Amino acid sequence: MNRIEFMTELAALLQDIPEYERVDAMKYYNDYFDDAGEENEQEVIAELESPQKVAVNIKADLGDRVTESGEYTETGYQDARFDDRKMPAGRENEEQKCENEYHYQDNGTSYEQKKESSSPRTSKTLKIILIIAILVIAAPIIIPIAIGIAAAVLGILAAVFCVFIAIVVVCVAIAVIGIVLVCSGIMSMIPEIAVGLALLGTGLILTVIGIIGTVAGVRLCMIVFPGIVRGIVWICRWPFHRKAVA
Amino acid sequence: MVFNTGAALLDAIVLAVVSREAEGTYGYKITQDVRKAIDVSESTLYPVLRRLQKDECLEVYDRQFDGRNRRYYKVTEKGMAQLNLYQTEWKKYTKKINELFEGGVTA
Repeated sequence: MNRIEFMTELAALLQDIPEYERVDAMKYYNDYFDDAGEENEQEVIAELESPQKVAVNIKADLGDRVTESGEYTETGYQDARFDDRKMPAGRENEEQKCENEYHYQDNGTSYEQKKESSSPRTSKTLKIILIIAILVIAAPIIIPIAIGIAAAVLGILAAVFCVFIAIVVVCVAIAVIGIVLVCSGIMSMIPEIAVGLALLGTGLILTVIGIIGTVAGVRLCMIVFPGIVRGIVWICRWPFHRKAVA
Repeated sequence: MVFNTGAALLDAIVLAVVSREAEGTYGYKITQDVRKAIDVSESTLYPVLRRLQKDECLEVYDRQFDGRNRRYYKVTEKGMAQLNLYQTEWKKYTKKINELFEGGVTA
């Protein structure tokens, strides 16, 4: 890391303090590097340790200024309140935790008992009131959404129907074109045999493809359409059916 | 160092260092001078200077040096009063501690 990288990172880390504070701190450390001299640049960076540490030190002092609890040690600013002393505290915490757990359990059982005794009386009316409230509040949202969903479903179904119908129509058209081509082929055989034969052949192929396609399309529709209709009926019946069961 | 330097003591040391220069002195020099006495990391001194400046114990001004503006720190009147207070308190404190260490007081 060089001086420029150090200062850039420090500036980035000080983005959350007031601008005049940032400008002042940047000025100080910029001067510091200047006065230390280029030859000591790496030494200064090593002494400052990291932009993070410098930033933490600056912010620690901005945070709560009146504090006298902090101490400046060889390792920098230290505040006993932020140090976690592991050895004795750990044990204390464990003990406390056990106690707390015990209390929670105790509270839990008594709470449940209370709830059981009071719940049957209020639950039914409460339920009805809640349902009405939900309906009243949610009606402006649910009704348009329901209409939207219904419209979307209808649209999708219409599209599916149309796709299958289109397949049949295309196949019929191909068959018709084939027949027309056969006819025109026979007609043009008299002046020009080659063209006539070509037309006749193409016509026959198209006719066959068209007929096969038509038959297959109709078959497909016969399979798919009842399925779709059944599906729609099932979907429409589903909410009523469910209600009846409930 | 065995003993940690509290915030007040560090303030006092910095004020003392800055007060030695009538014209005022600059960050790098302050750091070097303070580090002659106590071992603090370089990054701890800026917050101290900033705090003393906000408390109006130090004033700053920029002066041309080597083709650039260098920031100088100077002790104010309030700063001098504060330093005097620190010095008397320190004398009392060290006297008591010395007496205790040397076994003078048994009362």
